[in-house]
Amino acid sequence: MPGRYDRSALAVDQATRDGGSAEATQVEFRAATKRYAGAERDAVHRLELDVPAGEICVFVGPSGCGKTTAMRMVNRMVEISEGDILVGGRSVRERSPAQLRREIGYVIQQTGLYPHRTVAANIATVPRLLKWNRARIEARVEELLELVSLDAELRDRYPAQLSGGQQQRVGVARALAANPGVMLMDEPFGAVDPINRERLQNEFLRLQAEVRKTILFVTHDIDEAIKMGDRIAILREGGRLAQYATPAELLMAPADQFVEGFVGADRALKRLSLMRVSDIDLWQAPLAFPGQSTSEVRAKLDGAEISHALVIDSDRRPLGWLSEADLAADTVPKRPSTGPEPVLELDDVMRDALSDVLQAETLYAPVVDAQGRIAGVLSVEIISEFLTSADALEEEHPAPERPLAER
Amino acid sequence: MTAAAHLTPILAQLGPEFFKERSDTGCVQENGAFCFSWAADNFDRYVTPTLEHVMLVVPSVVIGFAIAFGLALLSHRRRWLVPPITGATGVLYTVPSIAFFFLLLPITGRGTDTAIIALTAYTLQIIYRNIVAGLANVPPAARDSGRGMGMTDRQLLWRVELPLAVPEIIAGLRIATVSTVALATLAVFAGAGGLGDPIYADITFKTNVVIAGGLAVLLAIAFDGILIVTQRLLSPWRTVRPV
Amino acid sequence: MSPFVLASIFDSFSGAIDFIFHQREAATGGLQVGGLDQVWELTKEHLKLSGLALGAGLALALPVGLVLGHRGRGEGLAIAIGNAGRAIPELALIAFVVAYLGVGLLNATFALMVLAVPPILTNTFVAIRQVDRDAVEAARGMGMRESEVLLKVELPLGAPTIMTGVRTAAINVIATATIAPLVGVVTLGDFIINRNVYGDEGVLAGAICVALLVLIVELLLAGVQRLVTPRGLKLQRAAVPA
Repeated sequence: MPGRYDRSALAVDQATRDGGSAEATQVEFRAATKRYAGAERDAVHRLELDVPAGEICVFVGPSGCGKTTAMRMVNRMVEISEGDILVGGRSVRERSPAQLRREIGYVIQQTGLYPHRTVAANIATVPRLLKWNRARIEARVEELLELVSLDAELRDRYPAQLSGGQQQRVGVARALAANPGVMLMDEPFGAVDPINRERLQNEFLRLQAEVRKTILFVTHDIDEAIKMGDRIAILREGGRLAQYATPAELLMAPADQFVEGFVGADRALKRLSLMRVSDIDLWQAPLAFPGQSTSEVRAKLDGAEISHALVIDSDRRPLGWLSEADLAADTVPKRPSTGPEPVLELDDVMRDALSDVLQAETLYAPVVDAQGRIAGVLSVEIISEFLTSADALEEEHPAPERPLAER
Repeated sequence: MTAAAHLTPILAQLGPEFFKERSDTGCVQENGAFCFSWAADNFDRYVTPTLEHVMLVVPSVVIGFAIAFGLALLSHRRRWLVPPITGATGVLYTVPSIAFFFLLLPITGRGTDTAIIALTAYTLQIIYRNIVAGLANVPPAARDSGRGMGMTDRQLLWRVELPLAVPEIIAGLRIATVSTVALATLAVFAGAGGLGDPIYADITFKTNVVIAGGLAVLLAIAFDGILIVTQRLLSPWRTVRPV
Repeated sequence: MSPFVLASIFDSFSGAIDFIFHQREAATGGLQVGGLDQVWELTKEHLKLSGLALGAGLALALPVGLVLGHRGRGEGLAIAIGNAGRAIPELALIAFVVAYLGVGLLNATFALMVLAVPPILTNTFVAIRQVDRDAVEAARGMGMRESEVLLKVELPLGAPTIMTGVRTAAINVIATATIAPLVGVVTLGDFIINRNVYGDEGVLAGAICVALLVLIVELLLAGVQRLVTPRGLKLQRAAVPA
């Protein structure tokens, strides 16, 4: 799939160090059904799908479609009425629920962090249940805090002292603590504001590239599903599977009218979620340093791709754009009159990048790498060029043969 | 019978006259508002009653807590038990302790045991209700995630639900303890001593009443303070400020 | 428990029941004690004293609680008085009144009123504070005067919680009225305190009567509380433990 992070990177050897259920395990739904007494329809109806090890499978659908119920059947928070679910080839019914759950990571929307325990104690919950010795737990907590980009000094804080985003990270760290093969995540980023949600999503994808767990992820947001999922299972009311496919397939070949409607009419734009800023050739702006003579800069501007100069510091971080007024002076000022915002990252998903650019009402946005150094400039023009080439891409990858419903 | 005439037979039955030396100094003789010198000289008379008082309150609250805790654990997963238990403990709470002392008399006789049984019965409802309320107020998300992470019911109870219920439980203990200290002044009627003893021994002597009553109040404050500190120690997460 | 002990317990209680219904000669000789008439006399006195004290407590605490609750001021004070009220040692209070004020119905009423005020004050305050703010705002918006908002909206909605406070106060008052004979008011507690006169059966009879009296009053007040609860108001767990 073009533009996707290279998911073939293998998991870090944490597994071997801990000796827990290290490798990601596959999850298989075998006609899994949940029926509540006295209900007209099944909550989940004969769900049949396979989640390959190490992949993120997103359950998405309108409210009441049974996506959360289906996920909770995997760790038996909801008991299966008919059919079966296999984790790592073994039926979930084989072990006692408590034992099963200790091998599965569990992240919920409200985090459910224990208010009476410190961050470190929260993270250590399952290792303690598994009776790890103290040294091992300490080491693991430290490791996880780093993994989710949390300051080590937060370990002795209580959840009430953390921001929403920080709490979510602790929730994820806690679920990863015993190195489970499977993780269940129920709208984990739902309670966070949109800006932080984007950040958390990106970080989580980076994390997943490192740890490679099998993840069942529930969301009601189709955009999040497309961004996060390797495969997406769209459920309709009554817990029935409407389509189970990769995001690209879903966008290019929706199975029926319901799926099409759910994915949204802006499928073309949604495909931008599948690409990253790093996937395209960025333009290069003429660069200027504070203190440089403006006549030099003016010379660079002649015949450049972009008719504005970008000021960077000694670490090659963007400081802002030079205006005409700035250029009238002798030297480049340290603080140009226009700031560099929005600053995009190479890792950013194209859709988010476009959204940021449009919202800031600028023509150009500097793009930096993971260390914050300038890598190029993105503009709306480039994006529209790219879209046209993406259309060309569609012809190279013909859609699978599936009848499209009449509009 | 006039009020005064009625009082005489009661005073006639009183226990040992502590205060025969009433005719000692002018202040005492006139029964002044508060006789400091007498108080200073005779303070040690109140030591035993105070200790007796503590020995009435502490066992009552401890046993009351133990029973209420057991009842709360029993009704934790069987919610249908809550109304009947609340009702039964409510009856025990309503019956005035002094009546309770004498109702128990034929069964347990005069003495500390009778008093403790009655005082314990009085604490049951408030402690039970607070334990149940505390457990019910545990955030559902914490319960869900606890179960989802593989805690058994018992582990969930002892590691998550009870620790989070501690503040409310101790609030109930505080109320129970303060009430019991106040009520234990009546234990003298059950023949159990306590600070009610010196009060009853000379009910008209102002200084005596102030000292004994004051000690009871101080005792209540002291116990309350101890419980507040205990709560802070057991639930440090309550006092942190969001960053 | 040996059958011997059980028999003697049964004996005691039947003796007490007998005391309630049949007059007999006092242990000190001369006087006729016991019997329904005397029991009824003392019960009336007990209720009279309790009623006076409770009424006085209501008259004092209810308006103050309503006004403070409505204005939202003095929360610390209201809660503190409630807590302090629990710490008042009953016998010491009675003794204090006897020692400093003397005996008599007025003083006895005063003593018991002191016990009645804290629960009523605290519960009234909390009840008014907890009334749904939206309902209050709507009432104001409709043009009700402040006093009307208080009396027509806040008071009815807060009535259940206020009644809880009244019930607590009533139990405290009736229970402590048992030792009112010490202040010169001859209530049912006389049977208990004056063992010499009434004998062991009298003592037990007194205890039974007091216990029954309180239970009956409790039931009655619980009924009143149900009447006073507006239909459609969901009863929440009382925030102030009674």
